Amino acid sequence: MGKPATLPCVAGIGLRAPHYREVLDTLPPLGWVEVHNENFFGGGAALHTLLKVREHYPVSLHGVGMGLASGDPLNPEHLTALRELCEAIQPAAISEHLCWNSVNGLVANDLLPFPYTRESLAHVARRIQQVQEKLGRSLLVENLSSYLSFSNSEMTEGEFLAELTRRTGCGILFDVENLYVNVRNLGVDAEAFIRAIPHEAVREYHLAGYSVRDGCLVDTHNFPVYPEVWALYEYVLQQIGPRPTLIEWDSDIPALSVLMAEADKAQQRMNAGHD
Amino acid sequence: MTEYTDELNRFMRAIVQGTDVSPQIDTIYQNYSLDIAIEIYRNNYRGNLHDALTGAYPVILQLVGDEFFRYLTRSYIGQYPSVSANLYHYGEQMSVFLQEFPPAQALPYLPDVAVLEWTCQIAYFATDEPNFALDKLALIPAEQHPNLILHTACHVLRSNYPLTAIWQAHQPGADIQINLASGGSIALVSRLANIVQVSELSEADACWLQRIQVRDTLGLATEATLALHPDFNLQATLLALLKQGVLTGFHLESTS
Repeated sequence: MGKPATLPCVAGIGLRAPHYREVLDTLPPLGWVEVHNENFFGGGAALHTLLKVREHYPVSLHGVGMGLASGDPLNPEHLTALRELCEAIQPAAISEHLCWNSVNGLVANDLLPFPYTRESLAHVARRIQQVQEKLGRSLLVENLSSYLSFSNSEMTEGEFLAELTRRTGCGILFDVENLYVNVRNLGVDAEAFIRAIPHEAVREYHLAGYSVRDGCLVDTHNFPVYPEVWALYEYVLQQIGPRPTLIEWDSDIPALSVLMAEADKAQQRMNAGHD
Repeated sequence: MTEYTDELNRFMRAIVQGTDVSPQIDTIYQNYSLDIAIEIYRNNYRGNLHDALTGAYPVILQLVGDEFFRYLTRSYIGQYPSVSANLYHYGEQMSVFLQEFPPAQALPYLPDVAVLEWTCQIAYFATDEPNFALDKLALIPAEQHPNLILHTACHVLRSNYPLTAIWQAHQPGADIQINLASGGSIALVSRLANIVQVSELSEADACWLQRIQVRDTLGLATEATLALHPDFNLQATLLALLKQGVLTGFHLESTS
């Protein structure tokens, strides 16, 4: 349903506040940029900065607060703010995480895991449809990095995502680093995940660096992409093929040139796959 | 409550209140314990809210210092759980919290600073509104009772402390000495060219603006202000407020 995502099949970077000024002043060669929706709700300086960025680069809108799997109903104000942002920016892609963040009025401003059951599948599919109807376009749904798992899950995350694409027509944002985190933390089978998801539904990749706390890999987005994650990315490129690929960096944000060098590394791997 | 939401609820309470998670969560992991995993979620929860408060209250952070601010946010987060997925909505009760927070009693102006900073955050994200056309207003005969419309980013705050000076002294590059004994202040929050600013209002201008805010017509607001402040100069005030982006337009009363 809706307009197909039109991100160019090249590497892009997550654009965060420390780099707004430099990007607008110097207009560096970036394939595309991705921003977090919630930073641009409403009007004023934030929205105007993004409108200027949009004049020069394709923009992907990436949500961290929708809570597709939450226990509480979708927040109508949040949905309306997102629709208004979409209308203003006309993004090349729009994505949300496969996670939850609120129940009984309490919110954890985080990306929380849930059991993959028939009940949760029907629940999440219904909500993806609601979001897609409100926005008038299809959503990309991102696989989650997780620090725990549920014994009552009836399917894997890959199977769950595959079924969501079948039921709702949504696409998949495949975060390669998230999959790697789950392999190390939860013993998830990366090859099985890649086999389970419909490859034609994958429309974007994410890459980032994690940190380690007491043996647990934490999805902190504050380091360069590690060699193990590059290796998994190369395998993903062989299995699924090239897709628009994003370098995410969300804390201890380095110079723009560092992000661009990371994006170049992704681009080289995408190009190598074409040979 | 369904089995699903019950499970999420127990997970949420484990993060926010430290209670036990549901037995459906796996307890054995390859490289760490379940306690570590829950602790990571709890740290994320608190860390994200702490960062939201740091973003909303930069002047309070400077006034109390890093260590006290961390102590303060820890108490605030314990008392006020997050209820919005938008982190820019978190921290609204800071002024009320500070009024009752015993360690902050030595700084009695902090609650007013909190109100001002929260108001600035609201103003930063306020909806965009059109510019005001003064020439059009000039064409309206006074008997048509034009109602001026304030920008939604505009707020007037009265304080018993020199609030405007405190705020201005803690902006980047400011070089202002504050005299806390200099008395009260009327702070005007406005947004011009997407930049939120705080400026001091005179009693007369504040009186007029607050009348306009409660939807008095231009004529009534001016009359009431002149009765209290005979030296009030409407033209000068209008021009000054227009320059600050405070007014966005006007409409005419349908009945009069």
